[in-house]
Amino acid sequence: MDETPLNILIADDNQSDRMILSAIVKKMGHQVCEAADGIQAVEQFTDKKPDIILLDVMMPNKNGQEAAIEIKQLAGEDMVPIIFLTSLQDAHDLAACLESGGDDFLSKPYNKIILQAKINAFSRMLKMHNTMQKQRDVIQENNEHMRHEQEVARAVYDNVAHSGCLDLPNIKYLLSPFSVFNGDVLLAARRPSGSVHILLGDFTGHGLPAAIGAMPLAEIFYGMTAKGFLMTDILREINAKLKNILPVGYFCCTCMVNLSFRRERMEVWMGGLPDFALYREADNKVEHIKSRHLPLGVLSSSAFNPETQAFAFKPGDKFYMWSDGIIEARNEQGELFGEERLFSTFNGSNSDLFFDNIINSVNDFAGENGKDDDTTLLELSMVDESVIGKVDIDLTSGAVTGPTDWHLSYTLRDETLKTFNPLPMMLNILNDVPSLRSISGQLYTLMAELFSNAFEHGVLGLDSKLKSSADGFAQYYQQRETAMANMVEEFVRFDFDLTPNSNATGGKLTIVVEDSGKGFDYKHLNKSSEGNLGYSGRGIPLISSLCDSLTYYGNGNKVEVVLSWKNRIEE
Amino acid sequence: MSSLDLAQIQELKEIMEDAFDDLISTYLKDSEEKLVKLNQAISSQDSSEIAELAHSIKGASANIFAEELSELCRIVEDAGRANQVDNLSADLDAINTEFAKVKSELKALS
Repeated sequence: MDETPLNILIADDNQSDRMILSAIVKKMGHQVCEAADGIQAVEQFTDKKPDIILLDVMMPNKNGQEAAIEIKQLAGEDMVPIIFLTSLQDAHDLAACLESGGDDFLSKPYNKIILQAKINAFSRMLKMHNTMQKQRDVIQENNEHMRHEQEVARAVYDNVAHSGCLDLPNIKYLLSPFSVFNGDVLLAARRPSGSVHILLGDFTGHGLPAAIGAMPLAEIFYGMTAKGFLMTDILREINAKLKNILPVGYFCCTCMVNLSFRRERMEVWMGGLPDFALYREADNKVEHIKSRHLPLGVLSSSAFNPETQAFAFKPGDKFYMWSDGIIEARNEQGELFGEERLFSTFNGSNSDLFFDNIINSVNDFAGENGKDDDTTLLELSMVDESVIGKVDIDLTSGAVTGPTDWHLSYTLRDETLKTFNPLPMMLNILNDVPSLRSISGQLYTLMAELFSNAFEHGVLGLDSKLKSSADGFAQYYQQRETAMANMVEEFVRFDFDLTPNSNATGGKLTIVVEDSGKGFDYKHLNKSSEGNLGYSGRGIPLISSLCDSLTYYGNGNKVEVVLSWKNRIEE
Repeated sequence: MSSLDLAQIQELKEIMEDAFDDLISTYLKDSEEKLVKLNQAISSQDSSEIAELAHSIKGASANIFAEELSELCRIVEDAGRANQVDNLSADLDAINTEFAKVKSELKALS
């Protein structure tokens, strides 16, 4: 026999039959409890929790079949083998016994060997069943644990991702509710300059590996965008981070967009994603925008190429981004929705309906089959900046009191000028001054214009007029490359001077920017500035609008701007 | 010819050990009571009572290897189930006679 003694219930109204069975079972080393009718059998089952039941069919009060049904119900998911005691000639009983939950039969006269065989077989089955139940419980517990972890992870992720501005009036988007765990990421944030950064990412894989990669991606995206870093710097940083932390074979197909309202332009970097669609209202056509790069997290920093594609983006134009979930949606026949169908949704309808058309077409195509919702879709349109509103940058982590009386001189020489963007670093220093933090966007724009004037027009001697036509733009950037290559002992110097006013109710910031270029004829500026045509490229009207005074010195290679402010009264 | 399968009953004796005598007296007492009831049921022609009692004696008798008695009870049980109980006096006599033989043989064994 098997090593574990079992507890066996013998239910038979015939005392001599019970005595024989009991003797056989006890000889096998098992424990016995007895019942003389069906009611006692159910009671004994509840009290003694027997492992196996030997149950007579014909008993007074409650017959064996009725008792079996009750016992099986009480047992629930526990396995309780019931062996009916009946002669095999009573064929009409057998079917009813099976139906009521019987597992086997034993006929009279009882045979010791046959009973032993049956009990041993059920004993092994019980052991297997118990093991299986335990393992199932462990699996269930692990599963619940994992689900809980994913919920927590999702909550943490949402806190990171939802500081963005996907709710801007020029953005429409659809994000599946389980996006964190399908590997899709959709982020948007304003730069201090007022433009918008948007990032659509599609991580390889699903579940936690995808969500884990999304965390640093979102942190870098939001952190660096708020500090005024350029898209190329941010992409380089994200790529390096992902390359560093993700296992081989995991990466993030990404499209990042910088949308400038002021310049009505859009810069796009795309890696590893299917073609996106750019709709131009002027000619009512849809252009395919293609990925030109490998996904983020694949290449080393030295091999990574952050080069972007630039497009004019006028009011009425629209840009569509999607994850491959849309293209890979399947209908009941297993066909893919595909790129061709996707692009055909743009044919012949009002551009206001494009977004809904895409969603409806995919849903119609996939039918009930496609309710897994693994799709991310975003529409970006160009609107006037006034519709978008001002940048509200949250730099709450800064000091309450900051430096209020200081001078800083910062000179950038040839190699630095070629490769480094000094604006985030300078903006960071100015943001340490509590009063300046609230005008961070204004300061960024101001410094960006001053730096661009000093470097591009001053040091490199480029003509801003070139930028007014599309052809000129290309020419401008070519000249820029040549001029940069030929730089010798050039510089741009920023001098910041911050002083509080006499009774400490405000202060004054003076920025002097000097460059090594030839300067320009600023003396005629005032006379012709009404039309502001000749100087539009230098952004002088814009600079003037942002500060209290603007003064040129010398040959025009030195400019001074002054900003003053009153402290806001703290509550 | 013996009314009991002696080889089998020897094995049962080994299984029951000290409880064998107790088993025999329990069987005899139980069966005698049921036989009385069976006699009454047959005279009052109560089919279901006949079937139940005959079934019970049939099973218990099989278990102590009184095969002939068990077979006689089966015939009466079947008649009870078939509701043909108006002509069972001969069968009842056979059961009573066979039970007396089984009883004396069992007493000789214990």
